[in-house]
Amino acid sequence: MAFAPATLAADVTDVGYFDQQAMAGIPRFVAAERQLKAYGDGLNREYAARVRGVKNQDVQARIMQEYKNKMVDKQRELIAPLSQRAQIAIASVASTRNLSVVVDKQIVIYGGQDITQNVIDLFNGVGDPVPPVNTPPPSSIGFVDTSQINTLPKVKQAYADFQKFNDDQRTAFQQKMRGAKSDADRQQLMKDFQKSMDDKRKQLIDPLSDQTKNVIASVARKRGLILVIDRQSLIYGGTDITTDVVNGLK
Amino acid sequence: MSVCAAALLATGCSQTTSSPSSGGTPVRGAEAIGYVRMDDLVKKHPLYPELSRLDDDMQALQFKQLAASGAAPSLPPDQLRKEQAEINKEFAAATERAKAALKAKQDEYSKREAEAIRDAIGSAGAIGGAPGAAAVGNSVNSEFKTQARSVQAGAEKNLDAYRKQLVAHDNAALRALQNSLNESAARTYGTKSEQVQKAEADFALAQAQADASERVALNAKLSNLVLDDATREDARKQLNVLDHKEADGLAAMKNRDSATLAALRKQLRDSTSAELDRQAAAMQAQTLAKINKRESDVRQQLVTQINALPVPGPNGGPMIPANVSPAVRDKLKALHQKYQDEFTKDANVTVAQFNKTRDELQKRMALITGVDVGGQNASSQQLDALEKQRRALYDQMLSQIEREVKIIAARRGVGVVLSQVMAPSGGVDLTDDAEKDIESLHE
Repeated sequence: MAFAPATLAADVTDVGYFDQQAMAGIPRFVAAERQLKAYGDGLNREYAARVRGVKNQDVQARIMQEYKNKMVDKQRELIAPLSQRAQIAIASVASTRNLSVVVDKQIVIYGGQDITQNVIDLFNGVGDPVPPVNTPPPSSIGFVDTSQINTLPKVKQAYADFQKFNDDQRTAFQQKMRGAKSDADRQQLMKDFQKSMDDKRKQLIDPLSDQTKNVIASVARKRGLILVIDRQSLIYGGTDITTDVVNGLK
Repeated sequence: MSVCAAALLATGCSQTTSSPSSGGTPVRGAEAIGYVRMDDLVKKHPLYPELSRLDDDMQALQFKQLAASGAAPSLPPDQLRKEQAEINKEFAAATERAKAALKAKQDEYSKREAEAIRDAIGSAGAIGGAPGAAAVGNSVNSEFKTQARSVQAGAEKNLDAYRKQLVAHDNAALRALQNSLNESAARTYGTKSEQVQKAEADFALAQAQADASERVALNAKLSNLVLDDATREDARKQLNVLDHKEADGLAAMKNRDSATLAALRKQLRDSTSAELDRQAAAMQAQTLAKINKRESDVRQQLVTQINALPVPGPNGGPMIPANVSPAVRDKLKALHQKYQDEFTKDANVTVAQFNKTRDELQKRMALITGVDVGGQNASSQQLDALEKQRRALYDQMLSQIEREVKIIAARRGVGVVLSQVMAPSGGVDLTDDAEKDIESLHE
């Protein structure tokens, strides 16, 4: 096992975590969600009335997109200011407690500083939370934005090929199932379908997955990081190595 | 071993410093960051076969749905709605046509029977000189009795069906109640069991944390290569004492908890059984009262119905003389039977035609909406239930694993442990140690 250089040894007291589910239960978020749902229900009714007489699928799709955009706009209007306030509250608490990284509670099994209640108190406070002056200190925990990796041409191509294979296999499977005469036949068809999917995954996806893991590990070692997590599990701080990983995969 | 490495080990100044722990695994410096490969740990959990079985069941259901969805040609939603409405309309029309045809046939055969009876009585009067009206009256009385018996039998049949329906309903309600009580008891037991396990884990964790500094110091001492044998042996003994102290404390607690859980299980079983008996008795009393009331109502209705039975009279049908000869009576019976049989035969043709139309319409509906819509819904519900079951089981496994990992982390002086790590380039991997502890849960 390779270890991080001594100079970048992890100071575990600078790792915090935050419970995002607790945040969703805050009255302001709940009220905004309720408002958004009511708005969405209204849009659904409006959409159903508008497409009732429309036969052309392109026109239907255009109308659908129009309503989706409306929903996104409303979401931005209602939720975005609250999310921004929450982000500032998290940054402020993290800065006050000298945390270099705050992760989602779901990935923490032991230790770390729970900042959930402090953040909620600050969020619910009367005035606006003040953003910290300093950026978070360098962290020995890195993160990768996997959505950016998924946009790489070879990754996209592999997933598209896998999806096409999946669609073809499903169609063939459905046809064969119609002709199956016994439960034993059907069981066998299911097994065959599953095996073909597993084999294809091993052929198309697993090599890419292994390559990605190796590149991430290599970049992490070079940057002296101890662990690397997915961007989705990160709340604040951390060391972003996405660009290095993307370059390493090209 | 190189001099440099020996020096590092002796001073314990590096993060990589390691020494055998009581379990034979290396101990890193305190306050390191650790991680576990949760997927691997889940596979080692004693409940993993159950989780796997649920996964297989869910996959089989998904396959079933996939196969079923492929059997139906897809129609655009608008066209589908239109086709469904058309079929429903045709079905309603066919039902109405069948009803009207049966009513017309019934009227037609009643009319023909009445005319035939009138003719028969007329010709009997002409032939015999004595009309035999009394005999006809007897025949009518006999018919009346038959009808009365038929009404009574029908009422008894209905009452019996009602009784069976109530009993079936009670049985179903009792089964549901039993399930609900069992589930509630299982939840109570599960919660207590979870609390007990958590308390045990907390106790073990607290012990491990209390002894952590002493343990780390002893391990550091043992990693010193220049340590004399006696001191080394002494340090080992102290480590063993620590291990035994922790194990004995935990074992005593587990024994107490086990007795508590056994008592709770008995108490829950007794209370569930008592509650079930109580509810069953109440339900049976209610059912009995309902049946008694229905019996009384039926008796009342029966009297009303029998009183209202039509007796052919001057305006209701052919005038039947008081006495008819046995021959005429037989002829009238034969006539009645003849028209009854003809009507039944004719009506069966109409019913068969209707059934054929209904089957064709059902086939058309199945073709456009997908095969076995009811079956698909049932599969979806089953899938939801399995998913819920799987989630609960997975959460239970996860919390047990997390408890074990916490204890290991405390023993090994690891400050933070994360799961779902993409690339562990330098953290402490606690997976192997956790696997051993989780495997011991099998015992």
